Amino acid sequence: MIELYGLTRIYKNVRGSIRAVDGLSLTIGDGEVFGLLGPNGAGKTTVIKMMTTLSRPDAGRCWVDGFDVVREPGKIRERIGVVPQENNLERELTARENLKIYAMLHRVEDANARIEENLRRVDLWERRDSVVAGFSGGMQRRLLLARALLSEPSILFLDEPSIGLDPQIRRQLWDSIRKTRIEGRTVVITTHYIEEAEALCDRVGILCRGKLIALDSPDNLKRSVGQYIVEFIDAEGRLVQHIHRDRNEAHADAAGEQNGSVTVRKTNLEDVFIKMAGERIE
Amino acid sequence: MTDFGWYPVFLKEMLHFRRKLLKLGYLFSAMVVPIVYLIAFGFGLGVSVRIDGTSYLAFLIPGLVAMSSMNNSYTWVSSTLNLSRLYFKTFQVYVQAPIAPSSILTGEVLAGMVKGLFASALIIIVGLLSAPDFRITFLFGVALLLNCFLFANLGVVVGMLTKSHEDTATYSNFFIMPMAFFAGTFFPVDKMPIFVKLAIYALPLTHTNILIRKNGMDAEAWVSLGILIFYAALFFVCGSKLIRGYNE
Repeated sequence: MIELYGLTRIYKNVRGSIRAVDGLSLTIGDGEVFGLLGPNGAGKTTVIKMMTTLSRPDAGRCWVDGFDVVREPGKIRERIGVVPQENNLERELTARENLKIYAMLHRVEDANARIEENLRRVDLWERRDSVVAGFSGGMQRRLLLARALLSEPSILFLDEPSIGLDPQIRRQLWDSIRKTRIEGRTVVITTHYIEEAEALCDRVGILCRGKLIALDSPDNLKRSVGQYIVEFIDAEGRLVQHIHRDRNEAHADAAGEQNGSVTVRKTNLEDVFIKMAGERIE
Repeated sequence: MTDFGWYPVFLKEMLHFRRKLLKLGYLFSAMVVPIVYLIAFGFGLGVSVRIDGTSYLAFLIPGLVAMSSMNNSYTWVSSTLNLSRLYFKTFQVYVQAPIAPSSILTGEVLAGMVKGLFASALIIIVGLLSAPDFRITFLFGVALLLNCFLFANLGVVVGMLTKSHEDTATYSNFFIMPMAFFAGTFFPVDKMPIFVKLAIYALPLTHTNILIRKNGMDAEAWVSLGILIFYAALFFVCGSKLIRGYNE
């Protein structure tokens, strides 16, 4: 379980200070796949950094598996695996050497067998002795996932796991993430891809400028704002959207519009974000 | 916390070092600066000079060993830490691993020492072949090891403090390079004006140069050993503190 209470992180620069995370409180249950969704700069990565002991909060508390991130970081590091947003593999070393170093850092027992198992899991066993610098972006993301799972962590943190990947590779990565969920792990994902959050997460927390503006399952969040949306371009070229709770109501609204390009579709998490924050996720 | 948490940190650096060694240009680039000094000052200018009854070459080679071990230990660690922390983000893998901060420091420092000792070995080989009165004493070994340790720790301090890779070069230009020239590598410092001498005696490399050329312990050697140990402890404590306090 992960518990955040009033978690706050302030970054200072020459122009003043920015509250990157502002009083965040939430609980993530064991075995849950939890998504932090929000635009770039919303504070998602900063939250992950605090939960994974890389950053210390300026205020508030955070417990991971019952351990305080400030007072007991070592205990937390024994229990977590992290796939960072930026590729931090040793690019001049081979895939196997990368995992070997990680296995030693985390005291992984029977390391050679675990390395083989995890490289096979992400389809990189054939490339085990290739230098990582020669890997494609997708292969490097898969290797990061294999590395994070090597120590069999009870909690897996994935910071923008599919950023920069093409749709086909992204779906392969999602399959790998779903497999880890089946193994009973708690998974925390940050993403600004709506479909990623909808495809993987049991619950989603929506962040905007460091604050949590919504927290529920994707279905409940969509239901809370209305499940159908009528869209059309007005005479001045602007996109107009009307959200409706009922399908018939939405179709009646669409029928009443004189504009020829009216569409009716189901709402998604971006619509929830726009409704609550008044801006788009970019 | 792992007792041998330093080993994977050290091993990773050694894997990188092994790959560098396999590249043809690396050995040449590691040797080129000291060999240029050796030819220019030792075989050129130094042929007609004797210092304290020995050939200039026998005086110069220990100085070049001290300088080269300083440069290589310091540069390897400061660059590695700076780049891995700010650009490649590989340092974060250590921070998020269940190892003690002192393990990260120990692994990096030992790797820096290996690099410094390797560069020194190349010069020692040239020295043994070219200067008949060049000798390796017990104190030579102590001074060399202490010098590598001290400057690898300074590399940790600088690598953790710098905010960009350019900063590392700035520290090097203002501190390491002047020390290489004025701390007794190429000429004895005891004939320098008193105010310059005071500044020079505050530099750690000066004391490595004193100790590395001694045949046995005397008062001056004890003072230099003490100052080197003081600097080594100071940089070790500062480096440990900086790693322990790491916070993004």
